[in-house]
Amino acid sequence: MAESVVMEQKRRKTKYAVEPNFTEKKQFRPAGVQETGLAFVGYEVSDDRQTMNQFLHYDQLYTIRHGKNSPFFIGLLEGKIMGTRCPRCGTTWVPIRTHCWSLDCDLVETDWVEMPLTATVHTWTVAGWSGRSSLKRLPIILVYAVIGDSSVAIANELHGVKPWDVEFGMPLKVVFKPKDQRQGVITDFHFEPADGWRPGPMTAEKLRIKELVEPVYEWVKTLK
Amino acid sequence: MGERVCIVGGATTPFDYGATGFESIEGGAADCVREAMQDLPEFRLRDLDLMLYSHFSVHFGHQLAPEWIIHDHLGLAGLPHYRVENGGNTGGSALYAAALAVMSGHHKAVGIVGWETMDSVSQSQGSEFIALASDIRYELLVGGIYPIYYAAMANKWMKENHVTEEDVASIAAKNKNNAMDNPKAQWYRNEHRYITVDDVMKSRLIAYPIKKYDCSLMSRGVAFLIVCNEAYAKKVNPDGYVTVDGMGLSSCTIRAGDRINYPSWKERYGPGYPDMTEFAACRCSAEQAYKMAGIKDPLHQIDFGEIHDAFSTSEAQIYKALGLADGEHITQFLRDHSTHMDGQIPMNPGGGLLGYGHPVGATGLMSTIECYYQLAGMIPRKHLSTKTQVSNPECGIVNSHAGTGTSISNFILRRP
Repeated sequence: MAESVVMEQKRRKTKYAVEPNFTEKKQFRPAGVQETGLAFVGYEVSDDRQTMNQFLHYDQLYTIRHGKNSPFFIGLLEGKIMGTRCPRCGTTWVPIRTHCWSLDCDLVETDWVEMPLTATVHTWTVAGWSGRSSLKRLPIILVYAVIGDSSVAIANELHGVKPWDVEFGMPLKVVFKPKDQRQGVITDFHFEPADGWRPGPMTAEKLRIKELVEPVYEWVKTLK
Repeated sequence: MGERVCIVGGATTPFDYGATGFESIEGGAADCVREAMQDLPEFRLRDLDLMLYSHFSVHFGHQLAPEWIIHDHLGLAGLPHYRVENGGNTGGSALYAAALAVMSGHHKAVGIVGWETMDSVSQSQGSEFIALASDIRYELLVGGIYPIYYAAMANKWMKENHVTEEDVASIAAKNKNNAMDNPKAQWYRNEHRYITVDDVMKSRLIAYPIKKYDCSLMSRGVAFLIVCNEAYAKKVNPDGYVTVDGMGLSSCTIRAGDRINYPSWKERYGPGYPDMTEFAACRCSAEQAYKMAGIKDPLHQIDFGEIHDAFSTSEAQIYKALGLADGEHITQFLRDHSTHMDGQIPMNPGGGLLGYGHPVGATGLMSTIECYYQLAGMIPRKHLSTKTQVSNPECGIVNSHAGTGTSISNFILRRP
C-alpha cells in the first residue's frame, strides 16, 4: 500500500465511527465488592496427602451494551414499559424485539410503543429455592404475564398476594420502584394484583401450596 | 444417505457431587477411555480421526477451551478437534455432529469426551451459573433459575393435562430407584436409598409443583463415546455395535414466554402450540428421527429410552412430545406405570438425570452410553443386577434437552 494512502487512512480514522457521550452515569456497586481479577486464595490437602483442592476467586465488572434495545431499559428508568410493534404485520412485543420475528417481514425494524401498565397472568409458580442472589427474597411468586396486547409473556415477580392465592388469568398492574431506586433493569418493576381483585376461596391446591411454602419462610429467617 | 453411523463403545466416570468427586477433567477422561478400551480390546485411540468435546459452561472450571487440556493429555495432538456447546443438549448436539461427520464419509471414527464440574461452586451459585443460559437481561434477575422456569411451564401443562403432583413424583421415584442398581449413579453413591412417591411429595419446595426430589442432580462427571462407520464397527466390535438409525435436532425460543405465538410454530403445528407447556423442539426433532428410522408408532416400535429428565415434570412432558401418549391418554399412561421397568416402554433404566446425575456436557453422552449398553447386552456387566436390564431390546431412543426446551435432539438406536 502506498505511504500516502496509509497516511490518509490514519488521518480519517476518527470519522469511521461516532462515539456516544455518556454524561448520565450511575454506579450501584455495593461497598466492599472489589474488582480483584483472578487469584488463587487457598487450598486443602486430604489427610492421606493424595488429593488436593484449590480455591480460586474471580471478580470482574462487565459492560452489557444494550444497543438498539436501549429504549426498553431507559424506559424502565422513566417508569415506562416500552414495547415494540412491527410496522408491517402489527405484532407487538414485551420483551421487545428490535426486528420482526416473522420470516415474511424480512427482519424489518420495529417501532417503539409505550405499553399500558396492565397485564394478565399466563402461568405462574411459587419458588422456594433460587439462585444465590435471590435466596433472601424467598418465597417468590414468579408469573409469566402478558402486558397489554403483547404477543409474548414476560417473567417477573408478583407481590401483594399470598403465594397460594395466585391464579391463572388474574389481572395485574405494573408497579415501579421509586424513581431514585431504579437501575434500568427488569427488577425496577414487579406485578401486583389489579385494583379491586380479590383472591378466590381456599381450595385443596391452595392448602397444598401453603403447606409447601410455610417452611420456606422459616428457612429464610435462618439465612445470614 | 451416506455412511451408516454406529456406536461401538463408551463409558462414564462415576457421577458425584462434593465430597466424593475429586478427579481432574483430564484424569476423568483418561479413566473413561481406559474403561472403553477394556470393553473393546480391538479399539486403539490412534484409530480416531476426529475428537469432539462436549462441555457446557466454562464458568465452572474457570478455564476457557478446557478441551485443549484433555485432548493434549490423551496424546492426541495433531488430530482435529473442536468443542460443541448447546446448553443441556450439548451431549446430544455433539453426538449429532459426530454422526454428521461419519455420515458424510469424511471421518471414520469419532471420539466424544463430555464433562461438567458443577461442584466447583456452591449449589445456589451453580444454579445461577446454569441460569446464565437464560436471557440474563430479562429472566436471571427475577428470581429466575431453571427449576422456576420449568415449574411455571409444568404447572400449566399439568393442569391442562390433568396430571397430578403424585403422577410426576412416581417418575422421580422410578428414576432414583433405578439408579440404586447403577454403581456409577450419583444417587447410588451419595443419598443411596430407595424412595417412594410420598418421599418426593414431602421433599422441600423448589418451585411449585416441583420439589427437591423432582429435580435432577448437579454433578461432576466425564463421559466418553465412540461413534464410527459400519466398516470400523465390524472390525472392532462385530457382535456388540449398535446403529444410529434416526436423528433429529430442533430449536425453540430462549425465553419460554416468547413461544406462545411464535410464527414458525404456528406455521408448522397451527395456532396455540406449543403455548408455554409443550416441548415443540422435542416433537419436531422426534418427528425427524422417526422419519429417518421408519418409525410410525413410537410406543410399539421403540422398546425403551434414556431421556432428559431434568425434572420429573419434564420427563412427563417429553412422553407427550415423543408421541407416546396424547393429551387424552397421558394421565392413564402415567398411572399405568408404562415407563417403569416392568411397563410397556421403560424410560431411564440407567437412572436418568434424576438418579445418575446431570453433569451437563456429559449428560447426553451418559444417556447414549446407557442406551448402547442395553442394546449391546452389557447391562449385567455395568449395573449391579439384571433388574434394570430391558428384556431383549431391539430399539431405544436417546433424548437430550436444553434451556427451557430451547434445543432438543432425539436419536433412534438399534441393534444392526
